Amino acid sequence: MKILEYDVLVVGGGIAGGESALNLANIGYKVLLVEKELSIGGKMILLSKVFPTLDCAACITTPKVSEIARHPNITVFTGAEPLKITKKGEHNFEAIVLQKPRYVDVDACTGCQLCEEACPVSVTDEYQFGLAGRKAAYIPFSIASPRAAAIDIENCILCGACERVCPPDCIDFTQTEEKLLVKIKSVITATGFQLFDPLKIPRYNYDKAKNVITSMQMERELAPTRPFNTVLRPGDGKMPDNIAYVLCTGSRDKSVGNPICSQVCCMYSIKQAQLLLGALPMADVTIYYLHIRAFGKGFNEFYAQAQDMGVEFVKGKVGKITEKENGNLMLRYEDIEAGVVKEAEHDMVVLSVGVLPNRGIDEVFDNKKLQLDPFHFINQTDILASPSKTSIDGVFVAGTASGPMDIPDSILSGGAASAETTSYLRKEDSK
Amino acid sequence: MARINPEFTDELKKYGVFDANACYNCGNCTAVCTLSDEENSFPRKMIRYSVLGLENEIQASLDPWLCYYCGECSTTCPREADPGELMMSLRRWLTAKYDWTGLSGLLYKSLTASISAFVVLAGLVIWFGAYEQFKLEPIMHYGHLFEMFAIGFVFTFILLPNIIHMWWITMVKSGKKASLSAYFKALGELIVHMFTQKRALGCDDNQFRWFEHFILVLGYLSLLFTTVFLDWFSTQSIFIIILGYVESAIIFVVTFDFVRHRIKKDQAISKNSHPSDWFFVIWLFMMGLTAFITRLFIDINILDTNVWMYIVQLIVLVQWALIIVPFGKWTHFLYRSFAMYFHRVIELEG
Repeated sequence: MKILEYDVLVVGGGIAGGESALNLANIGYKVLLVEKELSIGGKMILLSKVFPTLDCAACITTPKVSEIARHPNITVFTGAEPLKITKKGEHNFEAIVLQKPRYVDVDACTGCQLCEEACPVSVTDEYQFGLAGRKAAYIPFSIASPRAAAIDIENCILCGACERVCPPDCIDFTQTEEKLLVKIKSVITATGFQLFDPLKIPRYNYDKAKNVITSMQMERELAPTRPFNTVLRPGDGKMPDNIAYVLCTGSRDKSVGNPICSQVCCMYSIKQAQLLLGALPMADVTIYYLHIRAFGKGFNEFYAQAQDMGVEFVKGKVGKITEKENGNLMLRYEDIEAGVVKEAEHDMVVLSVGVLPNRGIDEVFDNKKLQLDPFHFINQTDILASPSKTSIDGVFVAGTASGPMDIPDSILSGGAASAETTSYLRKEDSK
Repeated sequence: MARINPEFTDELKKYGVFDANACYNCGNCTAVCTLSDEENSFPRKMIRYSVLGLENEIQASLDPWLCYYCGECSTTCPREADPGELMMSLRRWLTAKYDWTGLSGLLYKSLTASISAFVVLAGLVIWFGAYEQFKLEPIMHYGHLFEMFAIGFVFTFILLPNIIHMWWITMVKSGKKASLSAYFKALGELIVHMFTQKRALGCDDNQFRWFEHFILVLGYLSLLFTTVFLDWFSTQSIFIIILGYVESAIIFVVTFDFVRHRIKKDQAISKNSHPSDWFFVIWLFMMGLTAFITRLFIDINILDTNVWMYIVQLIVLVQWALIIVPFGKWTHFLYRSFAMYFHRVIELEG
């Protein structure tokens, strides 16, 4: 087994893990950043704009991502994950990292996309959240880092068409899984979050009603690298003109096992509503909410701005969504202010899905227990005085791995984790 | 201005409700309810009233009776506040409020009181049997007389005044104006709901349960008629004998299924069982079963030597007629139907 040595292992290459890695690298520590997806940048790189400033998300993420990718002190493994992390002593960890084969020599690939053109296999594009298709030989998305092709071996028919057209001849079907032994002094877990699966609420008919989409799908429709180049409803390609948002889909809902607030859905829905009013000036946007939680800096003003722009806010949880023959949706809800049950018709419905923890990181830690909180996020054992601390000394947590939070908080949390890691590492240096 | 009463939910807890205060007023329950409509949007409003302790508003409302407890609101409630069980508890609480004697409330709230009442009545029947030296003839004679007397007495002195009381609270006191002609025109609704419970069909996937309940009600009412007015236990008519067998069999078969569900807790409606629910289904089951066996003993000529069987049947009957019918869950048969009737009257006026 190949042995590598670094100062810090950062698990997760999203905005929080990336921020931690950059800070540590800038002060001279050697960092290994391990990302399970094919690109770093996490969820943020896929977003349209950020609230409440409406800055372009990609314009903030991509420079950071490039800096991470090019930094002399950072090594990035994409398509890789730690299988086991063992604490041998203070400032002494050993990790076994699994590098999955990409079947492409990343350093040689120029990102010319000729393999994409040649590949005869079409499948659903997970990076467009099912809104578009992609090939089995593909570049994950246009601003991916590394911007290199990958072979989706599950769907590949091994026809060799990509291999024949590749100019630098970088496609290599002989690649295999590789396990690496990594010696580090400290670990940052920045494993991020996953989105709530709306299929768990059958009465919203997410699987059957074609024009019910998730907020992440709408995010893709609004992003600069969007699949349709405009906002369309997926059922029939019609431009929607009466869009509904269903807040608290899978958040604050004990019946689906997630009783806590996801902290971002109110604001991202308000943001998307404002963007929609820009993209589709004739459209009506209605947000069905329980309580609007606009608690951050500039958030309440942002909420008021949406109201002023004409976004309609209706207090009441949507109970049922049924599809009409023409693809429109009937929403049944109780108008809480009137105390009356009502039905409303919309031609597109966006489910503002909540934030759930990415599971499994606690099982990676071998001889020490990484404590989770009751909601399966990583427990912050000293949340007030030392927010990045976990139950294992030398293992720190950054970003949404510790609980739902927005982008500025994730970056702050990444910063805090890097600072605490530094102080942990300096203790050793001063010995 | 309404006065809020935070202690009201503690009072309601005695009638079965768990945690209405968990409600955060999202309205999911009202939105998923297939029986809720623009005129009567429930159950959230009832939860709000309960949390605030607005007893007058709850008493004036017919909404609790318009719910047939499919349980969809409870299974999908984001706060697990169990709105379906709250509506059920409100129906118990309202039953206690409509009852002028106050015994309903006592029996709903105190299991000890209920059990004591059952024991005392059983004791009285056995004492009466002993007094008659356990001779079948006079016991059966008085047993039959008791049936007629109980029906007349319970209806005249308990149920009728309580219905009038309900009418007073829900219609007159709450200021709902309705003309005599509306009351007359809506009468059809009363009959239809009393005998078919057709509104329960509005609940999703409720057809089978509705059918069970429907034949149970028909079986029960016709068995009552067969025993009391056709004198099932003494008749020679083969038609009436078979009719009684069928009716009593329907009762114990259907109630057996209900009890089974309550034990398994496999449906939202059978998940929470208040003692009054157990008394109701078990006594109904025993009514059907003991009547069936008693008649069977008559037909194979062994009742004379097994007078105890008739005594058992009489105990069940007396407890049923003097506890469960006037003060227990039986009354939902009347209050539901009348609530639907008054609801229709209001609609006609509206």
